[in-house]
Amino acid sequence: MTHTLHRMGSDESLSEDYVVLMMPSKDINHEESAPKLRRFFELAIENHAVKIGDCRLGNQYHQGGLNKVIENVQDRAVIHAVFETQEGLLLMLKALKKEDLGLSVVVSGLFDRVWECCREAGLEIHTINQSLGRWGRTDLLPPEPILEVNTMCGHGMVAKGLVEKTAEDVRKGTLTCEEGAEELFKPCMCGIFNTHRAAALLGKMSEAQ
Amino acid sequence: MQIDQELCIGCGQCIPYCPVGAITMNEDGSEIDLEECVECGNCLRCADCPSDAIYQQELVYPRTVRSLMSDVLTIAEESKISGRGTEEMKTNEVTGRFGPGEAGVAIEVGRPVLGTRMYDVEKIARAVATLNVSFEPDNPITSMMSDPVKGKFKDELLNEKVLSAIIEFRVALEQLPELFEIVKEVSLQIETVFSLDLATKVAPDGSVPTDVYVRQAGLAVAPNGKTNVGLGRAPKGSSK
Repeated sequence: MTHTLHRMGSDESLSEDYVVLMMPSKDINHEESAPKLRRFFELAIENHAVKIGDCRLGNQYHQGGLNKVIENVQDRAVIHAVFETQEGLLLMLKALKKEDLGLSVVVSGLFDRVWECCREAGLEIHTINQSLGRWGRTDLLPPEPILEVNTMCGHGMVAKGLVEKTAEDVRKGTLTCEEGAEELFKPCMCGIFNTHRAAALLGKMSEAQ
Repeated sequence: MQIDQELCIGCGQCIPYCPVGAITMNEDGSEIDLEECVECGNCLRCADCPSDAIYQQELVYPRTVRSLMSDVLTIAEESKISGRGTEEMKTNEVTGRFGPGEAGVAIEVGRPVLGTRMYDVEKIARAVATLNVSFEPDNPITSMMSDPVKGKFKDELLNEKVLSAIIEFRVALEQLPELFEIVKEVSLQIETVFSLDLATKVAPDGSVPTDVYVRQAGLAVAPNGKTNVGLGRAPKGSSK
């Protein structure tokens, strides 16, 4: 499940996009992991995450509120928090190191920025996963501005048509960029869609139309 | 997924939510093309149909694989987690799945945007199977193969359309040049796209062991990706 690996965009835009994931490992440390996962969510909220989410049970809209996401988390869940700044990521990593929950943590973002934060937080990089891009019928893909928004939900649930419609609604003034970004977040069940970054991208798209 | 034509008021609100463009408007209202629908559940969950016309029909095998590979909230029996992949590198400090001298490879067929028929997934799997790789047993697509040694899928699944399918395996670092050649060649033979992932344990000096092979192959690496920061561990007394 490499749903946070292939986020597309300029370095400038990606510098405002960090996803922190926590998960237990099947049959090794998944038992009684729910309280630890819940603690992760609390730390994320304390450190001003843009969004949090749970791949197993769905996002805050699907579950009926942010508190439900935190309360309902189960053993074996794969959970996330999204940060819009390197500073926020650093604070989260420092908090996770101090808390020492014993579950795996993976950060998706610009490698140089993430590794800088790891060094500052005193964390050792263990394993990395790199994107070697898109292959095959890339001629069938929509334009890059659409892909930049679409790939923030690696499962592809933020549909091309919805991005286009939302950008048009922003252009017409029916929605603000922030309202549009929130609408686009709703189908992303894992809650890894960065609404802060999406609002900026919608602004650019509506200007270009 | 289906739309009850008696209930549909033809507002078209559901149309943009379909990630594969399977919903269109006809003279009676919105309609889902079942050949194209990947059973992801997005329209039912998110389109907020004002007349509750969207419903989940009973899914019968082999169509059930569409939901398994497309609806993120479906839990796979093999991995016990949601989504269609595995723990891969995310828990590598706990599982030791990828060790020194190895690389983890994932070929995410259908991503982004386009989705894929399973025959294209098979085409790629059969090509990489020539390297004598073992496909990841925890990945649901491995149990869809009739012959995992050859990367052959069950015949009845080949025409099913899914939002994505991830082919996962490990290779020795020395196999990477040959793998990259195979990937280049097969990418010219498919009707869709795939995204390519390369995972590796970082060396004690901080270097990335796969870098030299990627450079030699002339491939571009994205500046962003995933970093496992080594915080997981097995409980005391565990065999891991």
